[in-house]
Amino acid sequence: MKELDLLKKDWQKNENSFEQVSEIEIYKMIHKKSSSIVKWILIISILEVLLWSCLSLCFDSDGYLKNIQHSELIGYFELLNYANYAVILIFIYSFYKRYKVISTIATTKQLMQDILKTRKTVQYYVWYNLGMLVFSLIVGFIIAFAYNPEMDTFKQQINSSAKIMAITIGVLSILSIALFGLLWLFYRVLYGTLLRRLYANYKELKKIDL
Amino acid sequence: MSDNLEHSFVKQLQENQNIIHKICRLYTNGEDAHKDLFQEITIQLWKAFPKFRGDSKFSTWAYRVALNTAITLYRKTKRSINTIEFEGRQHFLKDVEYDYEEEEQLKLMYKAVYQLNDIEKALIFMYLEDKDYQEISETLGISEVNARVKMNRIKGKLKKILNPLGI
Repeated sequence: MKELDLLKKDWQKNENSFEQVSEIEIYKMIHKKSSSIVKWILIISILEVLLWSCLSLCFDSDGYLKNIQHSELIGYFELLNYANYAVILIFIYSFYKRYKVISTIATTKQLMQDILKTRKTVQYYVWYNLGMLVFSLIVGFIIAFAYNPEMDTFKQQINSSAKIMAITIGVLSILSIALFGLLWLFYRVLYGTLLRRLYANYKELKKIDL
Repeated sequence: MSDNLEHSFVKQLQENQNIIHKICRLYTNGEDAHKDLFQEITIQLWKAFPKFRGDSKFSTWAYRVALNTAITLYRKTKRSINTIEFEGRQHFLKDVEYDYEEEEQLKLMYKAVYQLNDIEKALIFMYLEDKDYQEISETLGISEVNARVKMNRIKGKLKKILNPLGI
């Protein structure tokens, strides 16, 4: 392709046409902060872990159970809490390990894979938390219905009419779905903007190597 | 990190900075974006520098980190507008002896290259830099055969951009 040869000649001829950056300027640059997507993923991931951990810590299940006079359930909740802490710790460790692996001296394909895997690790954590959220909601409803004396009149109403029961189930389902949808959308927007280009380039590279 | 390491890095980068400039020229539009990417690449190079063993040339090592930063890590702040940027290339031509037809062809070629996607640009970049397929495959992490196949496809794509009707 003769146009490409022409371009190559011109490209190499213009090698020295760039305005040169001085050593002092380079010194200044290396002391500035990076704004790479890896850095953003790290920041957002830490915020996510903090947020979800806070949420699970803030919920005072013991107080609630004492309040409805069913302290015998506290043991189960403690067990659940410890399991939760263990999962958080395992997660933080694996995230840190993944993050450490990311290196710009890897091949482009490897680098992309490492970034996407790091991101995936956080995603699993988020799904785990969403799952726990749904699980807690269900357990919460069951406990409320089965043990909370304040619910007695409401229970009678539900039992007496299939319509009220249907409405209750409907409202609860819609609320859960809406919550889920909102979170899903939030993540789509957050990581969509951050990783769209990386995904596209990764796909392109994989396509070449098929 | 010690001052010595810093000094050695800054000196070598200063000498090899054209590599970064060329990548910036291919991947960004306008002066601000060029400076922005230059800075990000410099930071990434500096971060990776302690792992640079010196068993390869500084420039070979820098190619990889710089390309990886441009393709993978860098977040474009603004949408690219190819045509505006392209006008800025004019000054490269001033020393060249005037051949209008050639100049016109070059203009079109640069414009066509800007229309390629990030990965295709990386392949073209290394081709323009006279890198062999082995180095291209090692940098991008694809096989040599596939790099060759892709390069031929890119040539076809460029031809099509230059001459969409195939006359």
